[in-house]
Amino acid sequence: MKKILSICLFEIKRTFKKKSSVVLMFGMPLLFTFLFGTIFGKDADVSFRIALVDEEQTPLSKDITQKLMLDEMISYELVTPDEGKELLAGNEVQGIVTLRSGIANKLRNGESAVSFQPSPGMATAPLVKQQVNQTIQSIDIYVAAAQVGSAYFNEDWESIYERLTVNEGRIETWTEQKAGMSTGNSMMGVSNSSAGFSIMFVMIMMLSMTGTLIEARQNGIWSRLFTTPVSRFQVLLGHFLSFFIVGWIQFFILIALSSTLFGVNWGHTAALFILVTSLLLCVIGLGMAIAGFVRTVEQQNAIGTLVIISTCMLGGVYWPISMVPEVMQKIANYIPQKWAMEGFTKLITEGGTIGDIAMPLIALLGFAALFLSIGLTRMKYV
Amino acid sequence: MLTLLNVKKSFDSREVVKGVSLQVEKGESFGLLGPNGAGKSTLISMICGLVPFETGDIWIDGKLVSKNLKEIKQMIGVVPQDIALYPTMSALDNLVFWGRMYGLSGKDARSRAKEILEIVGLTERAKGRIETFSGGMKRRINIGAALMHRPKLLIMDEPTVGIDPQSRNHILETVKSLNEKGMTVIYTSHYMEEVEYLCKRIAIIDDGKLIASGTKKDLNNRLAGGTVLKLTVDSLHPLFIEQLKKLHGVEKVIVQPTYEIDIHLHSKMEIVAGVILLASQQGVHIQSMQLQEANLETLFLQLTGRSLRE
Repeated sequence: MKKILSICLFEIKRTFKKKSSVVLMFGMPLLFTFLFGTIFGKDADVSFRIALVDEEQTPLSKDITQKLMLDEMISYELVTPDEGKELLAGNEVQGIVTLRSGIANKLRNGESAVSFQPSPGMATAPLVKQQVNQTIQSIDIYVAAAQVGSAYFNEDWESIYERLTVNEGRIETWTEQKAGMSTGNSMMGVSNSSAGFSIMFVMIMMLSMTGTLIEARQNGIWSRLFTTPVSRFQVLLGHFLSFFIVGWIQFFILIALSSTLFGVNWGHTAALFILVTSLLLCVIGLGMAIAGFVRTVEQQNAIGTLVIISTCMLGGVYWPISMVPEVMQKIANYIPQKWAMEGFTKLITEGGTIGDIAMPLIALLGFAALFLSIGLTRMKYV
Repeated sequence: MLTLLNVKKSFDSREVVKGVSLQVEKGESFGLLGPNGAGKSTLISMICGLVPFETGDIWIDGKLVSKNLKEIKQMIGVVPQDIALYPTMSALDNLVFWGRMYGLSGKDARSRAKEILEIVGLTERAKGRIETFSGGMKRRINIGAALMHRPKLLIMDEPTVGIDPQSRNHILETVKSLNEKGMTVIYTSHYMEEVEYLCKRIAIIDDGKLIASGTKKDLNNRLAGGTVLKLTVDSLHPLFIEQLKKLHGVEKVIVQPTYEIDIHLHSKMEIVAGVILLASQQGVHIQSMQLQEANLETLFLQLTGRSLRE
């Protein structure tokens, strides 16, 4: 045990002696969190400015208008159709959202009830569409409920809808907590960036750390280690522990800093501990698996970086997974970061506990078992 | 201290160690001499349990390596050919780490590391990072790491490759002093003069085989006369070579592709005049001529037809 601890402590000391490691571990994730968080988050000083045209002017359309106005990321300006066109032509708004006439029937019949005309070259149009869709979908639930009530009580659905939305405060609280728009725990903003970039930079750091296994093999340190009375098990466990502890130190400091600097609430402590632990096991396993297939540290860095960046894209680290096409969402199920992000989302936005993140935990531990098995099987010692 | 009995090893059906047997006595300084790729490092790796051998047996201090590996590893100190140190860590940190790997407590490792730094003459640079050291200084720490646990048997695999003469002298003096204090040393090198200086007994390995072993005197006696006449000529005329072989007193003629001819003589006979006469008869111009006394290099050349540094 003493030798395992000696190897572990030596590796930790070696890691923190490198200034570049400290920048990579803490500086870069915080910088990226700040940049991306303020671009996509509610904390942004500059939000998207969108013209909102209500063609119908009914209680339902007004209700939708009100809900859209609550959006903290998009600033809506209620205008007439002509004013909207004028604003768009003058580049004063980034698009026009129109609640089309006959919206009630259209919603009831499942037809397109809202149109969106983005300004030419608006790169973030999908984001606005998604935000509008979310609001419409929440309204849609009430419409559907009102329709069922209408048939059941033999009463027109509009009055049932009105009654439903009068009591919406209680229901809405729950809905908004789920969506995280009013609790200050939005996963669209700094919280999302904090979780995402913490995952990405912990992965990059672990890739660099597992690269030390190849480095030690390349420069003859492992050969020398195995001439001493130390077993392979002790060497591997010592290194593994060091990766794990460094990963946890990195995550802990990032959690503390993002809470202090950006006000991110990471949720249930025990659940967070288990989720981060599972993620670290998975990430270390991935690093060791890659190390098992390459011969040099340079190859490990090149292939590892490619794997991390591409899987972060697929796994919803940079943007919400709901924004990508369905086929990509299905592929994401095979990406560890997707499950990690899902776990963090449940903890941060829904106040989830260990039970709520069971699925992400199982997925991450499954990936960890797979990667570690590959890594240990392919490990070259001398 | 060390016994090897008919040890063999193959890599991918290529036999690299072909039934080597040898014995090293306690307190002895033993040299393994051979060119690059002769099988010295593989033999060392098998002795310290790093590479398994296929047939034969190895005993260290009466214990079978195959059955008492952990105990044996505690007894031996290995200085690898590579600088197997952590470049971003200090000399002191490196030594303490290797001490810990040999089971020393933190306090003992630290105090022993300071002793070692003194032995290798680098006390002043204790806190310097290895990556800032010269090649010679790195080699000295590389040796120091193997001495941390006071091994009974020190195995050194080409410990002076690529270093300055000052560091080489320091290393040779250190090894000699350790041996004089009772440590058994196995020293492998392709530098004949280092092995001649340090070792009382020497084994010569080539192509995985032990081709000669014994004291320096024994080996020198194996040379027919021990003297070699080295010629550099402008052409390798076949008839000239054939006639050289027939000269009285010539044991062997080895022709190098670099227009060099080594004429091994039975004794220090006066054949220079005969060689010059033959050359002039065949129209061969002799550019240089050197009479070399017997040494391990000549023995190796005589036995294998190759130079040690090939």
